[in-house]
Amino acid sequence: MLWIKNGVVVDPKNRINAEKMDLFVKDGKIVEESKVKKGDCKVIDASGKLVVAGGIDMHAHIAGGKINTGRVMRPEEMRVVRNIAGKFRATVGRVLLTAPAIGYEYAKMGYTMSFEAATPPITSPHTHEELDAIPIIDKGALPVFGNWHLVFKCIEEKNLEKLKSLIAWTIERSKGFGVKIVNPGGVEAWMYGGNVKGLDEQVPGFAVTPREIITWLMRANEELNLPHSIHLHCNNLGIPGNYQTTIESIKLANGLKNEKRQILHVTHVQFNSYAGNSWRDVASGAAEIAKIVNSMDNVTIDMGQAIFGHATAMTGDAPFQFTLHKLIGARWSNKDTEVETGAGIVPIGYLPSNPVHTLQWAIGLELGLLIESDKVVLTTDYPNGGPFTEYPYVMAMLMSKKMREGELKRVHQYVQKATTLPSIETEKTLYEVIHMTRSLPARVMGLDKKGHLGIGADADIAIYDLNPLTTDFSNEFDRVYKAFKVSEFTIKDGDVVAKKGELVKEVFGKTFWVDASKKVDVEAVIPDVKSYFDFYTVQFSNYGVDERWLKKSKRIEVI
Amino acid sequence: MLIIKPKKYFEVCVEAEITPDLALKKVEEVKKFKVFYGNKIVELGELFEISKEGEDKKIVLGGDFSRVKWVGTRMVDGEILVKGSIGTNCGAFMRGGRIIIEKDADDWLGTEMAGGEIIVKGNAKNLVGCAYYGDAVGMSAGKILIEGNAGNYVGDKMSGGEIIIKGNAGDFIGMEMRGGVIEIHGSCGFVGGDMRGGEIRIKGSFEVLPTFKKTEKGWVGDVNVKGEGVVKNF
Amino acid sequence: MEDIVCTFCGSVCDDGEFDVEKRRVKRFCRLGSSKFAEKERIKAPMVEGKEVSYEEAIDYAVEILVNAKHPLLYGWASTVNEAIRLGVILAEKLGGVYDQCASVCHAPGVLAVIEEGLPGGTLGSIKNRAEVVIFWGANPAEAHPRHGLRYSITAKGLLVKDRKQRKVIVVDVRPTKTAKMADIFVQIKPGYDYAILSALRAIISGNADVVPKEVGGVSKEKLIELAEIMKNAKYGAVLYGLGVSQSRGRDRNVENAIKLIQLLNRTTRWIIWPMRGHYNVVGAGEVPAWEVGYSYAIDFSRGYPRFSPAEFSAVEVLNRKDCDAALIVASDPVAHFPASAVKYLKEIPVIQIDPYPNMTTLVSKVVIPSAVYGIEAEGSTYRMDGIVLRVKKILETNYWTDEKILEEMLKRVEKLKG
Repeated sequence: MLWIKNGVVVDPKNRINAEKMDLFVKDGKIVEESKVKKGDCKVIDASGKLVVAGGIDMHAHIAGGKINTGRVMRPEEMRVVRNIAGKFRATVGRVLLTAPAIGYEYAKMGYTMSFEAATPPITSPHTHEELDAIPIIDKGALPVFGNWHLVFKCIEEKNLEKLKSLIAWTIERSKGFGVKIVNPGGVEAWMYGGNVKGLDEQVPGFAVTPREIITWLMRANEELNLPHSIHLHCNNLGIPGNYQTTIESIKLANGLKNEKRQILHVTHVQFNSYAGNSWRDVASGAAEIAKIVNSMDNVTIDMGQAIFGHATAMTGDAPFQFTLHKLIGARWSNKDTEVETGAGIVPIGYLPSNPVHTLQWAIGLELGLLIESDKVVLTTDYPNGGPFTEYPYVMAMLMSKKMREGELKRVHQYVQKATTLPSIETEKTLYEVIHMTRSLPARVMGLDKKGHLGIGADADIAIYDLNPLTTDFSNEFDRVYKAFKVSEFTIKDGDVVAKKGELVKEVFGKTFWVDASKKVDVEAVIPDVKSYFDFYTVQFSNYGVDERWLKKSKRIEVI
Repeated sequence: MLIIKPKKYFEVCVEAEITPDLALKKVEEVKKFKVFYGNKIVELGELFEISKEGEDKKIVLGGDFSRVKWVGTRMVDGEILVKGSIGTNCGAFMRGGRIIIEKDADDWLGTEMAGGEIIVKGNAKNLVGCAYYGDAVGMSAGKILIEGNAGNYVGDKMSGGEIIIKGNAGDFIGMEMRGGVIEIHGSCGFVGGDMRGGEIRIKGSFEVLPTFKKTEKGWVGDVNVKGEGVVKNF
Repeated sequence: MEDIVCTFCGSVCDDGEFDVEKRRVKRFCRLGSSKFAEKERIKAPMVEGKEVSYEEAIDYAVEILVNAKHPLLYGWASTVNEAIRLGVILAEKLGGVYDQCASVCHAPGVLAVIEEGLPGGTLGSIKNRAEVVIFWGANPAEAHPRHGLRYSITAKGLLVKDRKQRKVIVVDVRPTKTAKMADIFVQIKPGYDYAILSALRAIISGNADVVPKEVGGVSKEKLIELAEIMKNAKYGAVLYGLGVSQSRGRDRNVENAIKLIQLLNRTTRWIIWPMRGHYNVVGAGEVPAWEVGYSYAIDFSRGYPRFSPAEFSAVEVLNRKDCDAALIVASDPVAHFPASAVKYLKEIPVIQIDPYPNMTTLVSKVVIPSAVYGIEAEGSTYRMDGIVLRVKKILETNYWTDEKILEEMLKRVEKLKG
């Protein structure tokens, strides 16, 4: 039992804004004062300190074939030593981290949950093995659907019931959390060296278009009423002029409504917000994107902020990865995956002296600032935009114009004309930034026990050395940044796991997955699935992940 | 001048990042210098006899140092004289000064060296003047002279400096080389794969790759990377 | 029992049928079937030849390892990921070296990946899409008998329907059994893979003029023909074997092949993949990669992982006498390592964990028998292309699993190390 005394609580979901109050924890949950015996409580004095829910990273690449190939391909990333073996594991990694390092670094920063944003269903056992090796945080994984022949088949047949069954079967088999779509149709086109350039271009070899793939998966997802909406990595990622495709894709959510959450989540939008015709005249399309997102009440996005320094591009968007390899001449890994999907990896870096990199940095911030705080989640698309350990930098930047002005001076001045960042006056409030990193991602993912500190919530709590009542967020950005870098206390399911940036206890979090197999007749799609197994290289019965293989399974049933 | 000698045969290799800076310290201080004996961190004085003669910035390593790794790593000036053979990673990241090895050198000699001089009186093994895995550039400046033979992979991704081998060299010499000079007085195997620049001179025989053009300057290539490296006999 | 998973080679076929009564497996190849046949086992845990309990053997083994200055933990390619993970953590806690069978096999491929990346795909992408398959220095007909049928030669795919729609090319130094199944066989001079790959790159990028009349025993005409086939394939795959990664040039050969694939992808689609040997040699690299950042030749003597194949590969460690104890799991280095390395292994205390007796048993001070994964125990493994398959438990056993043995060792090590 825990008694967190006198903290200054910011809990946007429960409309608490910097109120001095006590919190009580029992059996890993936040409980009412009357439920604990105060004498038995371990007391944490949080006087003058900020108390918030643990952070939630709703889009990161933390487990599976991509990051692991990235590690093998980049030993130079692994030379940064973070922890020497002793009471806890040895951890290493510059931006690409080992699995133990991922858990430890999130925990030290006050984050307590993270989602692997893309796993091919067939490689989900690998993804889960790696997730299971990440200590402390809770986690989940999103299987990819946008280039799978079976999905195309359901859409070609215009059979929504079958598509629903396929989704339900797949997320159950892969122990997945929702429906991820990466460059719909484009990755299949890449199998023969192509890509799709717009929403209405037919996928080679199939009578489907990206528009249809997105729309059908969206409809199926809504009829299944999964906790999370479809999660879209748009077509044309990383290509100048792509912001129009992004806007077109966002409009596809028009007319659908879900009372709990968005209909469409568009991810790492920074990479999909480029105006212009080429890398010579590329500019920001963020203002236009912000306009459309703000005008709709059923779309959310995450930033995909670029952080100056090293990064590694790794996405299911295999054609983009090859384009990047050609563009910068760096190492390139690729993985064509059965007839399900593909992926690629390329080492990159963001230099403040490079006009394009600076533009990417500015666009992420524009999105974070111009979009209503109830619709934009803070991410770096780790490790694509850079490390998640720099979230505090992004938080501080969003809250301080002065900090941005300082940063704008040290970067390539191309941003002055190519973006609106220099003219943005907005300073997000702490309340908004806490929402963007806690309660909003929890709502976007459909997790009602996460991202807040109300009674019954999971006791995932972060306490920072920052008093919201006395801090000047516009001017004291350096202190704000430092305060968010390492928590005073990180509490996971009621256990204090980190203190002042030092790990104090290693626990293992749960893996959240969604089971909608009772919601539909899964059997309806099995004959089709089985017929496709003639073309798989594994047997139908050996496909997927059994619940008992997971270290700590948390099944969320959809009924 | 500091004189260091092993007290005994080492059961496993020792990692001792000794540089001539140590020669400026008092013997008692030098004895406390931390080295790795397998997984144990021990003091230099526990494993080695240490004595001092005069104040010059020089270290003499007497006895068998063939199982001692990382000697002279990151050194910037001064001199290390190795009376016998030396272990792996000797002179890695070296920026200045001189290392003289009277017998043989193990793998990874002068890795990513950026200045200074290494002289090996005996033979060197593989990976001389290369880049560590994951790094883009090998030796960038300085000089390595090997009076005997060298092994495979010499001067990978080398961008500057000079490697001279009086004997033979092994296979795959100057791969992805961008600048600098490799001179081999004996013979070697393949040279210059994906070479962009620099020069490889060989007195004896060698194997030219099918992607080099014969010109007056010698063999120029590698065409696969539009390279202008030169490979020639001298 | 149906759809059982084979634990012999990197093909990891998962369509076997096991007859428990007859103890026979159907559908698997000769090599795979042999794995399921009854064989001589190590009867009981032993310390210096004397039978002891599991606990006693583990206590004794842990004492050796904890007191060692630099223990070598080697093997891992023929066990499951769960055991490998514990092995990596054990090496970390002990401040030793973790190395696995790849270091004498396909590890040069890892070095090539570090240089250039790995443009690859799963076996299913080859089966369904590859119009041209090139086996380079690989002989699946002998080493991976069902590979051709299931994935690469006669496999019936979705887009490439059968053998007729697929061109199979073998590049090797001798006419292998696989070469006999090929449409084209290109015989090359041993040690000239690198030069030939460079020549192919030059021809494909429009620099054929510099290429001499003959490279590595292959005529320029033949090379141009090969280059044309590669360029004109809609989707092709190069599957390379030890002929590339363990012959002259090793990692440089693989690196050059990857560069060739990069070039081809500018105009069409090609992938490259190694033909991995042991059933879970991929797992023996993947697991340490996520646990500690590297896939083999990892030293923990400083309390954190460092990677250096020239120093921390098992053979290098043994040749330099840089270890003072060894734990060998599911492997037989005495049979496969060079004589110099074996000679030193005989001088230090060796602990073996293995279901079967082998040459290494003879030099081991502590021998701990284990259950056979895929027959007596379950666990996850990585097929050669990284696809995970769960090997199954079919029969009961009293033998402890590698996982249980290692878990017990780890518990004791943690206790002793504090």
